[in-house]
Amino acid sequence: MRIGIPGQAVAPAPPGVGWRAVIDPGHAVLGLLLLAILAVFVVWPIAAVLGAALVEPDGGVTLAHLARFFENPLYIESLANSLRAGAWVVAIGTVLALPLAFLVARYDFRGRTLVTTLSTLPLVLPPFVGAIALTQVFGRAGTLTLLVQDLFGIHVNLMDGLRGVIVAQALHFFPFIFLTVAAALMNVDRSLEEMGQTMGAHGWRLLRRVIFPLVLPAYAAGALLTFVKAVDDIGTPFILNVKNMLGPQAYLRITTVGRDDVDGYVICVVMVAISIACVGASNWIVARREYATLQTGARASGLPTRLVGWGAIGALSLCVLVLGASLLPHLAVIVMSFSRVWSLTYLPSAYTLGHYAEIFLRAPRFIVNTLTYSIAAALLGVVIAAATAYLLQRGRVPGKAVLDAVAMMPIALPGVVIGVGFLRVFYPMTLPGTETSLASTGAIFVLAYMVRRLPYALRASHAALHQVHGTLEDAAAVAGAPRTRAFRRVVLPLILGGVTAGGVLIFITSAVEFSTTITLVSRIEQSPLSYAIYIYSQSPLGRGAAAALGVVAIVIVAVGTYLANRLSGRSRMAFTL
Amino acid sequence: MIADTVRSLARLLLPGLLLIAVTVAPSPTFAQTQQVVVLTSFPKELFDAYKAGFERAHAGWRMEVVPKPTSAAITHVRERAARPDVDVFWASAVDAFIFLKSNNMLERYTLPADLRRGIPDQVAGFPVNDADGFFHGFAVSGYGIMWNRTYLTRYRLPAPKEWEDLIRPEYLGHLVISAPSRSGTTHLTVETILQGYGWQRGWELLLRMGGSMGAITERSFGVPEAVIAGQYGIGIVIDFFGLSAIASGQPVDFVYPSVTSIVPANVAIIRNAPNPEGARRFINYLLSDDGQRLLFRPEIARLPVRTALYREAPRGMPNPFTMKAGVQFNADLSASRYQVTNRMFDQIITFRHAELRRAWEAIYRAERAVEAARAAGRDMTETERMLTQARASASYVHVSERMAAEVSGVMERDAAYRSAKEREWGEVARASYVRAAQLAAAAEEAARRR
Amino acid sequence: MNVTAARTGGPSPLEVELRDLHRRFGDTAAVRDLTLTIGPGEFFTFLGPSGCGKTTTLRMIAGLLLPDAGEILFDGRPVTTTPPWRRDIGMVFQNYALWPHMTVFENVGFGLVERRVPRDELRRRVDDALRLVGLEGLEHRLPSQLSGGQQQRVALARAIVVRPRLLLLDEPLSNLDARLRVQMRAELVTLQRHLGITTIYVTHDQEEALMLSTRIAVLHQGRLVQLGTPRDLYEHPADVFVADFLGGANFLPGTVRGRTGDALVVALDAGNGVATAELHASASRHTEFEAGDRVTVCVRPEALELVPDRGPAGPNLLRGRLRLVNYLGAVMSSEVELPEGRVLRVQVVRPPTDMPLVEGAPVALRVAPEAVLLLRPPASP
Repeated sequence: MRIGIPGQAVAPAPPGVGWRAVIDPGHAVLGLLLLAILAVFVVWPIAAVLGAALVEPDGGVTLAHLARFFENPLYIESLANSLRAGAWVVAIGTVLALPLAFLVARYDFRGRTLVTTLSTLPLVLPPFVGAIALTQVFGRAGTLTLLVQDLFGIHVNLMDGLRGVIVAQALHFFPFIFLTVAAALMNVDRSLEEMGQTMGAHGWRLLRRVIFPLVLPAYAAGALLTFVKAVDDIGTPFILNVKNMLGPQAYLRITTVGRDDVDGYVICVVMVAISIACVGASNWIVARREYATLQTGARASGLPTRLVGWGAIGALSLCVLVLGASLLPHLAVIVMSFSRVWSLTYLPSAYTLGHYAEIFLRAPRFIVNTLTYSIAAALLGVVIAAATAYLLQRGRVPGKAVLDAVAMMPIALPGVVIGVGFLRVFYPMTLPGTETSLASTGAIFVLAYMVRRLPYALRASHAALHQVHGTLEDAAAVAGAPRTRAFRRVVLPLILGGVTAGGVLIFITSAVEFSTTITLVSRIEQSPLSYAIYIYSQSPLGRGAAAALGVVAIVIVAVGTYLANRLSGRSRMAFTL
Repeated sequence: MIADTVRSLARLLLPGLLLIAVTVAPSPTFAQTQQVVVLTSFPKELFDAYKAGFERAHAGWRMEVVPKPTSAAITHVRERAARPDVDVFWASAVDAFIFLKSNNMLERYTLPADLRRGIPDQVAGFPVNDADGFFHGFAVSGYGIMWNRTYLTRYRLPAPKEWEDLIRPEYLGHLVISAPSRSGTTHLTVETILQGYGWQRGWELLLRMGGSMGAITERSFGVPEAVIAGQYGIGIVIDFFGLSAIASGQPVDFVYPSVTSIVPANVAIIRNAPNPEGARRFINYLLSDDGQRLLFRPEIARLPVRTALYREAPRGMPNPFTMKAGVQFNADLSASRYQVTNRMFDQIITFRHAELRRAWEAIYRAERAVEAARAAGRDMTETERMLTQARASASYVHVSERMAAEVSGVMERDAAYRSAKEREWGEVARASYVRAAQLAAAAEEAARRR
Repeated sequence: MNVTAARTGGPSPLEVELRDLHRRFGDTAAVRDLTLTIGPGEFFTFLGPSGCGKTTTLRMIAGLLLPDAGEILFDGRPVTTTPPWRRDIGMVFQNYALWPHMTVFENVGFGLVERRVPRDELRRRVDDALRLVGLEGLEHRLPSQLSGGQQQRVALARAIVVRPRLLLLDEPLSNLDARLRVQMRAELVTLQRHLGITTIYVTHDQEEALMLSTRIAVLHQGRLVQLGTPRDLYEHPADVFVADFLGGANFLPGTVRGRTGDALVVALDAGNGVATAELHASASRHTEFEAGDRVTVCVRPEALELVPDRGPAGPNLLRGRLRLVNYLGAVMSSEVELPEGRVLRVQVVRPPTDMPLVEGAPVALRVAPEAVLLLRPPASP
């Protein structure tokens, strides 16, 4: 970092001008403030986790604990299970997503827009809620299982153990792949394809030699992110009672063995390593893929080929099949939330509104908590993200790269790890003047959610600010508006939509956050909706209420998604990170 | 200029910070004296009812709940022993309370005389309260069998009555139990069977049941859940799972076998609890008439320790204090071999479930083949002998009661010895079951051979 | 600080002084050693190719950028670190920087709101400003609903409505089409003369600079190359760069041979080092050269006269062949290739009629000694 006057001999400068040419004191204060916030809530917890796993009591770095991880058969199995589940989720997601993406991007047929809209619906259903419902569809006594058994005499339990985790996650995550690939396909310049055709490539060869290479990077990036999210998700294994995976093991070590158990932190380190590797690879691929989208000249935006007759019917039935499968969890959750008795029948044999009475009248606290935490996290996150984006784009301060890196760091941090880090750092601290630990106040959720989803808001703010040319602010300054007034009157109104969309993203993702939540939660009174769903699902008759809360979660996320898309003026893509 | 920046940032951050303040406010900080924090392994239906009842009965008092599985709850207490943040430990498993008591983490509490009156000292031979006053029983539970009527109809199965019924061949794959090492209540069930039928016969029974298990769940509530949903037909459960499911209208039934035991679920005060007054008030409420009546609620369906209340009991609710328990449960014996019982069950049943099930499946198949051959008038004596050997091999109990008593103490102290023993038991079990399956297969082949 | 002055009474034009201004970005010096004074009421232009430091200088004057070293003084008071909103200036940006979420009225009135001008007065002044730029009736449009020219006028109205003591214009015409550009140029001059505000203009377009400015500062690679009136600059460019940038010229290397009366005799280099022709330049104008000096001869295309290649050889007569003829009606521009291979651009207002003007025809070029400019050759070859 270079502060001060350039080395050449120059005329004596008025004092203070030299460094102020490079550093704006206002920006510097803002930057230090942001760095301080991020240092406490991002860097410190992660450093604590790494420290616990890799540093000896005497201060030396050690890999001994990490080595022990690879000697423990249970951990090896957990690692293998996590990786295997992630790979299967990507594989199944690919099979579901690719044909759909090709159809939607390449062909026009009746119902095409509907298909595009519906295909994002799995994203509004948190995977662990889906898991609850899917046992009623594909489980041992599930609707479809019984149907198949009665029709063909075959009994298949899809929701058994790891298989169930894979099914639930695949149905939830496949839209990530669908959206990235569909977007990439629509971006492929048709003229490239036509060029390929004129050079004699047809059909399969054209697909393989021209289109695949162009779409592959987008697919790879989407698949890697899906993999990371699948490994990160511990809600689904928990609901399905699968413990031999990395996330659940980390959680179990910390909660049942104790906060001083080194193994828990070592598992966290392994999870972070996987996550960083995938996010890094994905970013690298995205950066390299620029060539595919760079040639934006006059794009021959030829309309997609129109499908009619049998083609249209075939396309539509494929869509119905895929989307039907992915919308089953939604239906099942809704049916379950009204069911009183659902035992070995296709549909419930007795219905009730009691589950809704339970969650709205008897225990409304969960919904209130969720709204409070998520809104607070969104408000804080939006301000911090907007300020960070502003500094990164407009700031006259050194060290911007550090700020950027730290603020984006949580994207590669699994939720459990953030939770464990927060526990390690904040549990020993008490609220001033009391015996209450910081980690057992509701504020810990707000801060953890804010940190966890900050990258989303930061991206939204970046995009919004990018639209506001710097001279707009200069013009306001010249016209007599001091900097903060210029920001309020000119910049803020212009970025408000995009920034708010980022806030809504924080809100909806926080409202259904599970991994960090379960790690941090102690008192049921402070529990948000996601943990309450887990708690309800832990009593034999509680799944109805869990499903009702799941419906609430779906509504929150659906409304939020709609708002975010309206506000950001972009379609769907807001979701794909 | 700097002041400007800071001021406007502060103004923007204000709403978020205010909301944070709101989220902090309802936490106990600002009302230290007027609350009680309860650490419990009970399901939501139970602690919700008591939270509402307690707060109604003690105006101005708040009850906070920290729900954790028993093992995590013990860790919670242990980690915070120096500065506890919970007041009351509230759970089923007696073993957990004994552990906490022996580690000096519980506070002695003598119930007021008027509350003590009306609570018997023993239920079916089992002490209701800790003799030293460290923990107190507040509800009693027996163990039994729960089944799904729709399921039994669908698969044309008869309803069971006794533990021995569960070894019928037609139940193969339809039973469900949870692992005793994960569930304190299942451990008591297993111990009841071992004490009721004796060590050797008890294990043989458990092994034959084990062969018929469709699943061995990790969590005790997984059993009623599976039965209610119809994933499995018949489950071995603690009574309130069955009773509450019946009360909520699920198509299930529940029965206490004649060989059963009845044990209390407990409550205790944590040593150095931050709110000792609240803790006492909670226990007093729990044991009061009002508190005890809550147990009768259909979604809870547990049996109170206050005997006078059974006059008001809902229909179908048994009175354990008049019940003749088939087993005089010996808690000391249970505690002395706690490790061995659980580890043995894991090694020879939970972890070898696949081999065990294959063995019994083969045996039942062979039995049918032999039956058919005998009906066809063939002499099956030789084959029968092979089958008997197979059955013996598939229910081979490697560890005698005496051996169990001997190794129990060492196993608890010495991790290396423990894992060596565990490996030995697991290996022997696997070998026996594989041999059983081979014998049965050979018998079946012999029976089918013309 | 001058808000009060701006509100009450007409603003008095400002004198701007730059002292030893330095500014670098990373490793490149954008502006160095810039010292000059802009008089009150001047229309002063910074001219130079892109990257010469002119916009950087303007942004430093506006306060949008702080210099690494040096001082800026308004009427003798240092304002180097005064933030833009206290400098009492108006500025038009190259991209206009209209606020897209505000109507024309709000855009123009923005600065008045910041100066807490009462509502009535604000309305009146905005109306006045809009009338001045010819945009009455468009108050309620959004910028996106305006044409490029209209947007440019809004930006101008926004800059002058606060009655600034200094008006800064950053290539305001560069985004307009050619016809509009000419029209706006004329309006700009009229407006500036009418308001009498000290105006600093930044452009890379020499034509604009020549036409609009009272004085021009030519910047090159961050340095001030020449400062003067448009006529000074055109007729007496300080170096090859200025001469080339302003109007363009033919450059021929040569050597001063000596003095003949009032003429300085220069021998042009031939390709092989042998002098082929001699040019006489005005000796009184080029007192700094002595015999033996290397010079670059600069001849404007319009100073060359096409004559038939007949008569005897003599000084200030160059022979060659026509290479390219572009007949443009009023003028004819052509290129003449000299024997040693150099090509001269020639612009003739009235083409001679007594000779064939076909490509390849031998011609002679005549230049008056007053039109021969001698410059120091560029430092590096």
